[in-house]
Amino acid sequence: MSTPSRVSPIAWLVAPAGLFFLLFFLVPFGVMALFSVLSGNPVQRPNVTLTGRHYDRMLGDSLYIESLWSTLKIGAVTTAAALLLGYPLAHWLARMRSRGGHALLLMAVIAPMLTGIVVRTFAWITILSDRGVINATLTGLGLLLAPLPLMYNELGTVIALVHIYVPFMVLTLAGVIGRIDERLEEAAMSLGASPMRAFLEVTLPLSLPGILAGSLLVFALAISAYVTPYLMGGQQVLTLPMLIYQQVAATFNLAFAGALGVVLLAVSLILIVAYNHVLGRVARREDLA
Amino acid sequence: MPPPLPTASPASITLERVTKRFPGGVVAVDKIDLIVEPGEFFSLLGPSGCGKTTTLRMIAGFEAADEGRVVVGGRDLTHVPVHHRDMGMVFQSYALFPHRTVAENVAFGLRMRGVARPEMAARVASALAQVKLEGYEARRPAELSGGQQQRVALARAIVIRPPVLLCDEPLGALDRKLRQAMQVELKELQRALGVTLVFVTHDQEEALAMSDRIGVMNSGRLEQVGAPADIYDRPRTRFVAEFIGEINLIEGRVHDGGFIAADGRVLPVSSEKGEGAAALALRPEKLRIVSSGAGVIDGVLSDASFLGDQVLYTVTLADGRRLLVKERNPGTGALRQNGSTLGVRWEPRDAVILRNA
Ligand SMILES: Nc1ncnc2c1ncn2[C@@H]1O[C@H](COP(=O)(O)OP(=O)(O)OP(=O)(O)O)[C@@H](O)[C@H]1O
Ligand SMILES: [Mg+2]
Repeated sequence: MSTPSRVSPIAWLVAPAGLFFLLFFLVPFGVMALFSVLSGNPVQRPNVTLTGRHYDRMLGDSLYIESLWSTLKIGAVTTAAALLLGYPLAHWLARMRSRGGHALLLMAVIAPMLTGIVVRTFAWITILSDRGVINATLTGLGLLLAPLPLMYNELGTVIALVHIYVPFMVLTLAGVIGRIDERLEEAAMSLGASPMRAFLEVTLPLSLPGILAGSLLVFALAISAYVTPYLMGGQQVLTLPMLIYQQVAATFNLAFAGALGVVLLAVSLILIVAYNHVLGRVARREDLA
Repeated sequence: MPPPLPTASPASITLERVTKRFPGGVVAVDKIDLIVEPGEFFSLLGPSGCGKTTTLRMIAGFEAADEGRVVVGGRDLTHVPVHHRDMGMVFQSYALFPHRTVAENVAFGLRMRGVARPEMAARVASALAQVKLEGYEARRPAELSGGQQQRVALARAIVIRPPVLLCDEPLGALDRKLRQAMQVELKELQRALGVTLVFVTHDQEEALAMSDRIGVMNSGRLEQVGAPADIYDRPRTRFVAEFIGEINLIEGRVHDGGFIAADGRVLPVSSEKGEGAAALALRPEKLRIVSSGAGVIDGVLSDASFLGDQVLYTVTLADGRRLLVKERNPGTGALRQNGSTLGVRWEPRDAVILRNA
């Protein structure tokens, strides 16, 4: 008699993903984190020692602190804007009765993702730059003397990032909102809640998991974006990914690049945990003594 | 035990030529006229898709009537939004708020009305006591059985003391035993509260057992409104006769105050006015089996099924038509023998004539 296997068959299906995660995330990240605390490359020089100097350098240099701040700010503003724009759209998408309308709206949300990020960023440049559509029109009409600063700053970067990442927010939210029973809002209304109140009391709290997931996704994508801040910021906006790339590609200082990456990850994780905590508190708020 | 909830003053419900059309040409509700009396237990009964839910949702205000008026307690609510209608509603799926506890679910309507906390707590406790759910205040809906969720839904609806309570197949998801227990409880609760209750169901036994009056619906129309005995004993249309219980229909015509079957036989009925094609409707339990030749019609017993308290016989007539006859179980263990020839008879007053529309 054979003893029944304890390993669930699903575990074997998860194995490739686990292996992928291990090989292409945990191992490289571990190597990077390790390099960031070593005095040199252990493959070339066997007698390396542990050191905190890469971190000291970063924390002591206002360029890096400001760039970290700017990265996080762009991430947070992009996430908030994507949430505010995306939630109504996701709600509309999730509650649309007509199948044709649903398909059309879904296509409208997904279609921009079919063009590359570079293409979409250049499209924004032609709209927002000093000689772009908006500024050219307004100055042409004589409404403006000097072009509005729509680009080469954080504003332009955020506009383009929101456009690029809002579909992730919408799709994540629509999945969650679509699973909330519409009768719940009807029940709330039959008990005296106005439609707005019913939404705030029922649908919004029940969609918090979607808000959380969508926000994390967009935040993670926005703080790690490279091409869009690079092109939209026109070197005026320095985000950490740009500085990391510089350290890797131009200066070949892998250890310092590693330190920057570790700090960005650590700060992001702290923010994410805090955000999760706040949302959880909001969701559990008791309304009855 | 907390004091019982003060009785709401029940309201009447009047529907005047209420009509609902859905896009795509479906007329879900077709010019319904109906008056539900204050404090009445009224059931809307009908097959799937006949428009029961749509009718209820128009009373509740979830659907706008395309034509007609909805008047509750003398107030025209046709254009009043749901949250100003002040009605209790119990959904088939219960629609409990999953992120809130039992107590919070029940308190919701009170919170929307700005009821002060001490009163709120007392009323929540009292409503939960009414549905026999004390001690479950802190649970979430997911931690309750179907029957308990049902009770929470009921408590949440009655705690606001609505003059009208609307229930859409509230017992549909429960198993048979629990369902019968809940039927009794719901009926008792309705009496205790004195609330007007509109109850949607497709289960005729449930409707017959619970209602003061029943409205039978068929493809968007009300076919007949009446007390359960009325509906059962005196159906006015073929649809009602066939939808409720089992019935034998014999085609023929009314002539000269009597009924002549399609095969020319004159059948016993109480005197009937008018002329024209009609059907004779006979409940199986109103038929009696007698010896061959002593009845109205002779036939051969072709099937006997034992139902417990009763036995259902199928008698096949000479022309191949069948009559169902229900007799009380004699308790001797002996059923009538298949294949025997026998007669069937009935009292003229038990025969119902259904005119062809
Ligand atoms: N939102 C809607 N859009 C289009 N048609 C609808 C809609 N709701 C109901 N209908 C149609 O209206 C008719 C009546 O539906 P309704 O839900 O009132 O039936 P019901 O009597 O409650 O049936 P059941 O016993 O199956 O619940 C059906 O033909 C249904 O398909
Ligand atoms: Mg229904």
